[in-house]
Amino acid sequence: MSNTLHTRRKFLRTSMLGAAASWTLPVFLEKTFFALDALAADAMTQATSGRDDTILVVLQLAGGNDGLNSVVPFVDDAYHRVRPKLALPPDKILKLDSEIGLNPRLTGLKSLYDSGQLAIVQGVGYPNPNRSHFRSAEIWQTASDADRVKNEGWLGRYFDNCCRGAEPTVGVAISEQSPQAFSAKIPTGVTFSHPEQFRWKASMGADGKPLSEEEAFYRQLIGGAEEKPSLAADGNSISSLPGKFHNDATTEDFLRRTALDAQLSSDKILAIARKYKSNVPYPQTPLGASLNLIGRMIAGGLATRVYYASQGGFDTHAGQIGSHDRLMAVVNEAIAAFVADLKQQGNFERVLLMTFSEFGRRVAENANNGTDHGTAAPMFLLGGRVKPGLFGKQPSLTDLDNGDLKFNIDFRSVYASVLDNWLGAPSQLVLGRKFSTLPIV
Amino acid sequence: MLNPLPVERWDDRAAAHLLNRAAFGATPEEIAVTKAKGLAGAVLDLVEPRVSALPFDPPDWAHPRDLRSLRQEARMAKQNGDTTKIREVRKTEADEILDLRRWWMARMATTAAPLLEKMTLFWHGHFATSVEKVKDGYWMWLQNETIRRHALANFAALTKEMSRDPAMMIYLDLPQSRREHPNENWARELMELFTVGIGNYTEQDVRESARAFTGYRLDLVTQRFWFAPNQYDAGPKTFLGRTGNFNGDDIIHFLTKQPACAQFLAKKLCRFFFEEEPSPSLINAVAERLHAHDLEIKPVLCEIFSSAEFYSDRVMRAQIKSPTQFIIQSCKLLSCDLPGPRVAQNAMRQMGQILFAPPNVKGWDGGKSWISTSTLLFRNNFANYLINGDAILPPAMKRQGADVGFRGAARAAFVDEIRRNPIDVNRLVSADMRNNAQRLIANLSKRVLQSDPPSDDMAAFTNFLAARKDDSSDATVRGLLHLMMSTPLYQLT
Repeated sequence: MSNTLHTRRKFLRTSMLGAAASWTLPVFLEKTFFALDALAADAMTQATSGRDDTILVVLQLAGGNDGLNSVVPFVDDAYHRVRPKLALPPDKILKLDSEIGLNPRLTGLKSLYDSGQLAIVQGVGYPNPNRSHFRSAEIWQTASDADRVKNEGWLGRYFDNCCRGAEPTVGVAISEQSPQAFSAKIPTGVTFSHPEQFRWKASMGADGKPLSEEEAFYRQLIGGAEEKPSLAADGNSISSLPGKFHNDATTEDFLRRTALDAQLSSDKILAIARKYKSNVPYPQTPLGASLNLIGRMIAGGLATRVYYASQGGFDTHAGQIGSHDRLMAVVNEAIAAFVADLKQQGNFERVLLMTFSEFGRRVAENANNGTDHGTAAPMFLLGGRVKPGLFGKQPSLTDLDNGDLKFNIDFRSVYASVLDNWLGAPSQLVLGRKFSTLPIV
Repeated sequence: MLNPLPVERWDDRAAAHLLNRAAFGATPEEIAVTKAKGLAGAVLDLVEPRVSALPFDPPDWAHPRDLRSLRQEARMAKQNGDTTKIREVRKTEADEILDLRRWWMARMATTAAPLLEKMTLFWHGHFATSVEKVKDGYWMWLQNETIRRHALANFAALTKEMSRDPAMMIYLDLPQSRREHPNENWARELMELFTVGIGNYTEQDVRESARAFTGYRLDLVTQRFWFAPNQYDAGPKTFLGRTGNFNGDDIIHFLTKQPACAQFLAKKLCRFFFEEEPSPSLINAVAERLHAHDLEIKPVLCEIFSSAEFYSDRVMRAQIKSPTQFIIQSCKLLSCDLPGPRVAQNAMRQMGQILFAPPNVKGWDGGKSWISTSTLLFRNNFANYLINGDAILPPAMKRQGADVGFRGAARAAFVDEIRRNPIDVNRLVSADMRNNAQRLIANLSKRVLQSDPPSDDMAAFTNFLAARKDDSSDATVRGLLHLMMSTPLYQLT
């Protein structure tokens, strides 16, 4: 590790001092180098090469996905009794065993299940469930107890505790707004929906074209001049001016370094986006576009451990039968394309995709052919090295808590399993206490 | 003990600093006026603005309605399969909160009493309440007005008002608190986040004080607080070591008399007005003043703004602008209009501070947490938009408002709103500045950064003008302004 750092350092120095402009290595960079050396001794810091580490892709199903019509207890009489309109016909179900099957639209997930690359954790929730979207999503994002408010997200705490010194692209959210799960003491991770928009833009000249001089001097200003994104063989970026340190001497140092981080990450992301295109056709949906972009970033070896994407629309209070099936199809098609892409790249073994939703829905359907906010629901985890199968129990449809399912696996057990056994990060440190793990990865 | 600022240290830089922190920034002309008033005069003008009436009418929709009937009707219609009513209710809610955000930002940008707005913003972060749960524009507006009325007055009185504030009550589940089942949410946050902080009370204190706040109710017809004696637990409670038939106001009285309360509030004020990680001695000094003034805010702010500590090098120009400050101050400096409400709301979302929708009851962390690679690039590009107008936006966004999160008519309105002309450069620079690169840089730098730029930045500005062959067209001046507003230093105030 320390060897790599010295190489990076040398590269940086050379390229920066070699720059033509009449300016010197900024003092804050000098300080950063010392911090780096100190950091190399810190075993907690995870290397992020972008080429050989494991990668987690988190897929949020926003609005509260109807778990019972995703992973269906199709032989349970109670299911058909309380959902006279919404229960899916048993003959259409993609059967996983004699009692449980998948929504008919989840054909891609069914093939993954059959080939041993899909784990389904049933009945996931948490004690004293909250039925507000806002609050329950926050609980999932921050991995807090229901009666405690935490500001940092669970992935933010992973970045804070385990990825200091990593590049800012260690977390990438394909979104307009950073997910709360990324909230960290020191903000880490980049958020964008279009690579072309995740970049500094120059003013307009009178001719309606950007002022090219301005960009050159903007780079001089933040110390990123002459940095060219290199897609060198080691994939390990560039320049790699390592990301986030807690020991910036001043707030201004922190800002200068973040500006440089932003420039280097944006150069790198844009270069990958331009160079890597997938041969696999993705569906023309926003989720398809998000997973396509993630696929390209993985192919390009962006130094990233966690990607984040989301699909909304799951708040199916009314007219659920058509809308939920459409959503299942959207998710299924995007995931199927993503998996095919990763397999073609030879990266499927390195990727674990995990879905979550803030809650499942009420067991009984409502008067509008929909379902109201509920509690426990299944999570999907898929990837080349996942331990396949059904985990946990399908909660009883008759032994209910105010009309809602009783959870039997705490979602933080799933997080802990992913942290400990996939990202190689100590879950107790990240989640604040020990949760039992499941043999899913 | 806060030390008074020696008279000779009151200069342009100090005046600019005062207006940055106690207001939302100012133009060089306004800074000169403030400087001329002298320190005492300048501070007095902030805490006692000489305007007889503050001419800010409430938004025209801000009045109580019969929410109970409205919601009942919507629910009934929905049960009959008609969801138009419920969609109407939601649309009204979204329109009103959008307008409330516009109204408050306009007020911050144009008020003659900017400290009042700055403190209202401070308390909004302190007594954080989100429309995401409250779901009513009138109640959010009402809380904003209540906070404003007490913003410079007494903290204990403000806290008592907040315990009866409908938006706060809904946010922390107080109307559901019954004698048989006291809800602890408000009682816990009152201690943990609003008054004394963790470690200064026990779980027993939470449970006992929750009983004291039973009986607090909301009337959905008048949208007002009322007290239900039959839901109130009048029995004896043991709180912070005392026993008596305490009610909610008694609990707040005891809490605000705790030394920990002055300490807790002092730390928050120090973080807001001084620096992100204030020293214990600074916190103690401010806590001591809060205690001496019995938690009256105005005299303490006067002492803060007159102190040498407030104007020290480690404090001046070292605070990261909040997104609110970033937008308002940028528009002031550029002498341009605020962006339209949907554009502003979208920008605030991307920068991480949506007014009336803090992330949770803890409010915004502020400081370094405002800045990530994404938000920093967004700030630079948003400054570019303010300066150069919609010409810099991708065509897809101008045509269809792609990816802005608005749907249907709101998206069309957004597309309409984002049209914007470049700023009028002649309002900022004179002909003789254009003729002299050094003079141009010095003048704009004073406007944008309230100081001369550091030498590295100066070199970049000079080289930029040289590369433009000392062309002094509007485009070059806008480019220079954008370069200045893209400096790390510009993120500081």
